[in-house]
Amino acid sequence: MTDKRLPIPRLHAQPRQSLIGRRAFNAGLFAGGLATMLPLGTRSAQAQETPKRGGNVRLAVVQQTSSDTFDSARYDKGNDYIRGTSVFSYLTRINQAGEAVPEVATEWEPNAEGTRWSFKFRQGITFSDGAPLTAEDIIFSIMRHKDEAVASTAKQLVENITSVTADGSDGFVVELASPDVDLPILVGLFQFALVKAGTTDFSMPVGTGAFTVEEFQPGLRTVLVRNPNYWKSGQPYIDRFEMFPIPDNAARANALLSGDVDLVLELRGNGIEEVEKSDVADVFVTESTRYTAIQAMMDRMPSSNVDLTLSMAYLIDRQRMLDTVMRGYGTIANDHPIGPSSPYYNADLEQRSYDLDKAKFHFQKSGIGNAAFEMSVSDAVIYSVDMGQLLQREASRIGMNLSIRREPAESYWSVVAGQKPYATTNFHPRPTYNMLLNLAWQKGAVWNFSHYDNERLQALINESRGTLDMDLRKQQYGEIQSILHNSGAIIIPCFLSYVDGVSKKVKGLTPLQIGNLSGFNFTDKIWLDA
Amino acid sequence: MSLTGFILRRMMALVLLLLAVSVLVFLGCEVLPGDVAQVALGQFATPENVAALRTQMGLDEPAALRYLAWLAGVLQGDWGTSIVSRLPVATMMSERLANTAMLAGVTTLIAVPLALALGIRMAISAGGPVDRVLTVVVLALSATPEFLVATLAVLFFALHLQWLPTISYLSPGSGWESTARALALPAGTLVLVVSAQIARMTRSIITNILSYPYIEMAMLKGVPVHLIVARHALLNAIGPIVNVVALNVAYLVSGIVVVETVFAYPGLARLMIDAVQSRDFPVVQACALIFCASYVVLTLLADIIARLCDPRAVATEG
Repeated sequence: MTDKRLPIPRLHAQPRQSLIGRRAFNAGLFAGGLATMLPLGTRSAQAQETPKRGGNVRLAVVQQTSSDTFDSARYDKGNDYIRGTSVFSYLTRINQAGEAVPEVATEWEPNAEGTRWSFKFRQGITFSDGAPLTAEDIIFSIMRHKDEAVASTAKQLVENITSVTADGSDGFVVELASPDVDLPILVGLFQFALVKAGTTDFSMPVGTGAFTVEEFQPGLRTVLVRNPNYWKSGQPYIDRFEMFPIPDNAARANALLSGDVDLVLELRGNGIEEVEKSDVADVFVTESTRYTAIQAMMDRMPSSNVDLTLSMAYLIDRQRMLDTVMRGYGTIANDHPIGPSSPYYNADLEQRSYDLDKAKFHFQKSGIGNAAFEMSVSDAVIYSVDMGQLLQREASRIGMNLSIRREPAESYWSVVAGQKPYATTNFHPRPTYNMLLNLAWQKGAVWNFSHYDNERLQALINESRGTLDMDLRKQQYGEIQSILHNSGAIIIPCFLSYVDGVSKKVKGLTPLQIGNLSGFNFTDKIWLDA
Repeated sequence: MSLTGFILRRMMALVLLLLAVSVLVFLGCEVLPGDVAQVALGQFATPENVAALRTQMGLDEPAALRYLAWLAGVLQGDWGTSIVSRLPVATMMSERLANTAMLAGVTTLIAVPLALALGIRMAISAGGPVDRVLTVVVLALSATPEFLVATLAVLFFALHLQWLPTISYLSPGSGWESTARALALPAGTLVLVVSAQIARMTRSIITNILSYPYIEMAMLKGVPVHLIVARHALLNAIGPIVNVVALNVAYLVSGIVVVETVFAYPGLARLMIDAVQSRDFPVVQACALIFCASYVVLTLLADIIARLCDPRAVATEG
């Protein structure tokens, strides 16, 4: 059931991949169109140069937390993802077109129903302790997420997997409860790092990745050294990789400008301008469909008042937010999570923009008058504080009595989001739109912060997952967008690009829409041009 | 009361105080909304995940039992295991404790002599032009927030002149030269702030003593000013001054979050804040106890020094 009808642009086929049959590529299927977001021009000419060997690269991350871990079942942040892609290998990875491409898995094929997937994997890969990578290790690396005691952050994602069994010495078979055309993408997610069967202690991890661990102090630093036995020949190019936190936004930008670090995650505010002006470093922008939204809870007042929420949607000056708060690094959104460059994008929906008349109209229709109500913002939700301030100023112009409550960051997701009528939330893109919609808009889903219950929407989400006809899929996604756009359950003003800082010495990075710095997967590809 | 008796009584008080603090910290951690499992899983927590993690972390036991288990461990010298990182607390603390001690030590060694010299200089010429200029400078410095001093220092020394690194990143096993370069800016910032405080207090303590009749008597007898200060005023001022110094050093151990943040310096204060945010109770406890102990021990040291320098106390004990 490979889908040859879909126009899959094979953008970044590297020599290594071209050895693998076309079948493996197409088996990845079209991932839901997160991809193709990137204009062709952003891919740099760097790829043409021959990488040089050697050198030490230092990365400054944002979060300073002792929850740093090498246990991929507990991964929930970029710090961990970067460590994971450096020390472990993965079965697949996602490319710029949003497809799964081979890493350790060399090819895969579903049965006719899409419920049974047969994988082949590369032979001769060894762990850093010398043991060979076997099917048993791969089975463990997937199935451990189903173990209650592991409490994996990927638990929901593996619920559809019923079993993984060895198939000879170079293959394995995944059985699913219901068809999933995106399984090859799923098993390449950060949580599915390939670990040795039976591992429970990850303080000094044993992996098959590009680096081995020299020192790991959670919240302090991670020092990795080149694994000479890495299965990608010639890689990694650098000898040593160090990462440590610089939580202060200005200090992080300064460290990049002074050359104390070579890479920084998440430039903000003035730091972006300083790096843009500098001649030692560049901003590294990754367009993405990450968003900060205002979510209205549909099962309580006043947020279940659709007209009130629509009135707020017309009060947000999206262009201004993009220009001033985000320094232009983003795209304007239309109150639903599908990005404008997706093939599924519904262009027939009118773009909502700042419109005082329409805001007044809906505000009067809402009948809320000058009753006071609150919206919760927090540092836990990027740019939500700025968004709240922009909105509040406009609200006062039509007599809306909106106050902004700034909530503490550390308990935000447990006591505010999904608990208070109007709260801001932040979502990172998933490898497919369907994963995101499934996690955020099904009835009873944990991330359905709006408690939105729309049977038609839920049916569309489920149907589109198994729909192979592109036109029908477009129709289904078009209706999903129209439902969310008019639901009054969510306001998404802008999509936020990832903005990182990269020293001019560092080469080999290409933007990947699923996260910062090449989708957190770059340490075996970067090299230093001294 | 003998000096040993005095020290013994204070040490016993310290133990009781630490116990009280640990109970308070434990209660505080319990009252905070969201427990460690919830915070660790964050936005992406499902109720089943939280429940599983809670069981795994042993959080489903009654609070009192958890506290007693922790206390029993500490009494046997086992600080427990961080709930979040699953590393022994002692391991997590050791490097940061050394970092904090180093920064506090270097700052104290520079700041205290500097501040005393300044304070005495101002006191000697109290009211004169030198005193006025110094007073303005010192007041301005002690009123300037650390983050401003730190940020300006980074702008000037690290970005403009490029003499020093912008961040104090200490690689393990780095030589003394790179350590010194890494410490220069945070230590410099703290020296400015701390010595301004100590100098002001020194000045006012000594000026106050200089107004006593016995100093007037000495002056009338024709004793030179520097001798009056050195022999008569300073000895009597030592008690209050060492107390001011002790409080400032204790502050260097526990209260320099801002400086640690600006320079990304991995010290204890920052660790405690992170631990509170992630509800990592054993780490919060260990930090709180270290901070509390450092305050008590430092003031105890100050009191001992004050007693040793007080001829009246020495005479009654003799």
